[in-house]
Amino acid sequence: MPKKEYDVLIIGSGHSGGMAASVLTKKGISCLMLNAGPEADYEKDRVTKAAHELPYRGFNKPGRLPHVYQANEFNANQWVDEKENPYTYDPAKPYNWVRVRLLGGRSLFWARQSFRLSDFEFKAADIDGTGENWPISLVDLAPYYSQVEGIFRVVGRKEGWPQFPDGNFVEQTYGPDSQTIQKVTELCKARNIGVSKMRSAQGQSGLASSVNLLLPDAVATGKLDIVSNAIVREISMDRKTGRANGAHFVDRHSKREMHVKARVVVVAAGCLESTRLLMNSGIANSSGVLGHYLHDQIYGVSVVASVPEARDGRAKPGQMGGSAFIPRFRNLSKADKRNFIKGYCMIIGSGGGANPNFFAAYGEELQSKLDSYAGSCVSGSIYGERVARFENHVRINKDVKDAWGIPVLHVDVKDSDNELNMAKDSANTMEELFHAAGWEVLSKTDKFYPPGYSIHEVGTARMGNNPKTSVLNKWNQSHDIKNLFVVDGASFVTCGWQNPTMTILALSMRASEYLSDEMKKGNV
Amino acid sequence: MKRRRFIKAVAAAPAVPALLSPLSAQQPPATQQPSTVPKASPEPTPAATGRGGFGRGGSAASVPRIPLVEADEAANTVARYFSPAQFAALRKLAGILVPPMKGNLGALDTDAVEFLDFLISSSPADQQQIYKNGLDALNASAKRQFGRPFADLETAQADTILKPLLVPVAWAYDPPKDPVKHFIYQAHQDIRTATRNSLDASRAQANLGRRNFATTGLYWNPIDPV
Repeated sequence: MPKKEYDVLIIGSGHSGGMAASVLTKKGISCLMLNAGPEADYEKDRVTKAAHELPYRGFNKPGRLPHVYQANEFNANQWVDEKENPYTYDPAKPYNWVRVRLLGGRSLFWARQSFRLSDFEFKAADIDGTGENWPISLVDLAPYYSQVEGIFRVVGRKEGWPQFPDGNFVEQTYGPDSQTIQKVTELCKARNIGVSKMRSAQGQSGLASSVNLLLPDAVATGKLDIVSNAIVREISMDRKTGRANGAHFVDRHSKREMHVKARVVVVAAGCLESTRLLMNSGIANSSGVLGHYLHDQIYGVSVVASVPEARDGRAKPGQMGGSAFIPRFRNLSKADKRNFIKGYCMIIGSGGGANPNFFAAYGEELQSKLDSYAGSCVSGSIYGERVARFENHVRINKDVKDAWGIPVLHVDVKDSDNELNMAKDSANTMEELFHAAGWEVLSKTDKFYPPGYSIHEVGTARMGNNPKTSVLNKWNQSHDIKNLFVVDGASFVTCGWQNPTMTILALSMRASEYLSDEMKKGNV
Repeated sequence: MKRRRFIKAVAAAPAVPALLSPLSAQQPPATQQPSTVPKASPEPTPAATGRGGFGRGGSAASVPRIPLVEADEAANTVARYFSPAQFAALRKLAGILVPPMKGNLGALDTDAVEFLDFLISSSPADQQQIYKNGLDALNASAKRQFGRPFADLETAQADTILKPLLVPVAWAYDPPKDPVKHFIYQAHQDIRTATRNSLDASRAQANLGRRNFATTGLYWNPIDPV
C-alpha cells in the first residue's frame, strides 16, 4: 500500500530540526521527522548512583569514547558509541567529534550559553581583510534572534556594545559583584575591556532543548510524525526533475531498509552528519565547497590564581564568588594590530579551590595546600574563534563503514599560527590581569583541546551569494537543489567566539519561514 | 568491613533449600516429610494457566524487588595483572601518595591498589606501558640508591626518589613529557580517584556524617541499546 507522502521531511531532531518542525507545522505543513537514535525516558533512563556502584568506579570503561573528553562513567551512555559510529583522521591531526543521537540530539546537553553573532562575524572579511562575509547581516537575523530568545528565555545584561549584540532578554536583577569580580572589572576598564555577565537560556525546568521547547508544540498541531531509530543513508532524487523526493533510511535495530517520500527535504542532522549525508548522496556539491571550511572554537586555555587575603579560610563576606563575562575585545578596530585575526571571550570565575595537579606535593603536604587555597581561587578561561579555512575539510572514507554499512567521514583539520597566537595572547592577558590584581598565579596554560572539542563544529556547507563558492544560499537553501535545505551549523561562514546555538535556531526559523512562503507560492 | 552486610544478610535469611535446587523443590525427599505443609494457594499463577511463560507473569506491582549487595560488599578484587614486584611497588606508592588524613581513608584502607590492577589490565596498551615502565623504574631506582626494591624502602627513602619526579601540571591534557614523571602524575590522580570512589571510602564518609557529593552523580542507563 502506498504510504503517505509528507510535505517536508526533516532529518534530525536537535535545535535546528526542532525549530524547523515547530515553524512548518504551525503553518499547516505536514512533516515527518527522522531521528537516528531512540527517545530517552527521563524517569526510567536516569538514576542517582555513587561512583562505587559503577563497573569502573567512575573511571569510565578504558578505551570507550576516546574522543569525547566530556564523557565520564555517569554520562557515557548518552554519547554516540564510537565503535558503532567511527570516523577517521590522520593521527597527526586529531579531531574530537562529539555526537548525541537521542531524540533532541545535542540540545539535551548543551551549556545554554546564548549569544548573538555580531557584524564582526557576519562581515568578518571586511574586518579581517581575508575570508568571506556571510550573505546576511545582523539586521537580517535580529528579528529571529528575538523570537528565539523569547522561546528559550534568555537571561542577560544589555550593554549596547556592537561586538556583543543585546537581545530580547528576560529581565533579571543582578546583585552586587564580589570584590574579586569588581577588581577584575576595574582592571579591565583601565585596559578598555568591557566586562559583562553571562547570557544563558533558562528554558523550562533547567532544560532548553528541542524536546521540551520546540517539539511538543509541533506535535500538538497534529502535523508532525516522528520516527526514531531511523538512520538516514541517502537522500533520494527524482532524476527527471533534479529534485529531492525523500530519503532511504536503515532501522537502527533490525537494519531493515526503508524509504520515505516528501516534497521537500530539510537536513538538520548536525553540521558533520548533514554534510556526510549530502556527500553519501552525491548531491549539492556543484561548487566543490561541500565539506570544506570546517571550524569551531578553541577551548582549554586557562589561568588560575589565588587571592592571598582569602587564603586559609580568611575570605570575608562579599570578597569571593560570582563571575564575569568578557566578550571579544581584540581586533575590534583596524588600529588594533595583533599577530592574529578575530578574537576570544574570557570567562572569570571566583571562589573555587586549587586543583591538586597544580602542586608538586603529595600526602599531608598536598592536603595542607589544598586546604589553604580552598575558596581563594579565581579562574579564567576562554572561547576563541578558529579561522574557517578551505583546507580544513571532511570527505567520505569508503573503506570504513559504520554498523549500518554507511561510509564514514574522514576529518582533515589542523590548527594554524592564528589559533596558537590567539591562545598565547589570551593566557598572557589573563595572567597579566591576575598579577595586576595582586593575586598569586598558580597555573597557566596556553594549550588547548583538539578541534571539535567545543562541540561547536560549523561550516562544511556554507552559505553565500555565489553558487561557485558556497553550498547554500542566504536562505539555507541548496544552490543546486531548490527543495533541499540545510538548517544546522553546516551553513555557517564564520563561527565567532560565541556558542552557535542561538544562531542555528534563528537561521532555522528564518529558513523555515522562507520555505513555508515559497511552498505557498508554489516555488518549492 | 567488606563482608559485614553480607554475613548479616546470610544470618538473617531463612533456610530455603528449594532455592538451591530446582529438583528438590519439585520432589521432596521421600524419607523426610516436612512437619508442616503450606496450603496451596487457591489463585492460579499465570504460568499455571498456560498463559504466562517466563517473563510474562506478574505485574510490576506484584513482583517484589529482591535486595542485592554490591560485589565489593562480599568479595575482594583479585589482583593478577602486575608482577609481584610491580604490585608491591604500587602498594608502597599508594600508601605514600594517599595516606589516611583527617578522617578520610588512605589508599591502603581501601582496595584502591587492587582496583587499579584491574583497571590498568583493561586499559589500552599505552596506559599499561606507562604504569609498567613507571613501576619498574621505581624499583630500579630504589635498588640503585638503596639496594632494595621500592616496596621495602623507608618512607624517607621513598621520598627522595619521588619528590624529584613530581611536577605541577597546569592542564590534564598536557602531562609531563618524561615517562616516569608522567607515570607519577597519572598514578597519583588514579590512586586518589580509586580511593575516593571506593565503597569503603564512601562508607567511612557516611559514618562521619558526611555525604560525598563528589562521588555521586546522575547515571544514564543504556538507552535502547542495539
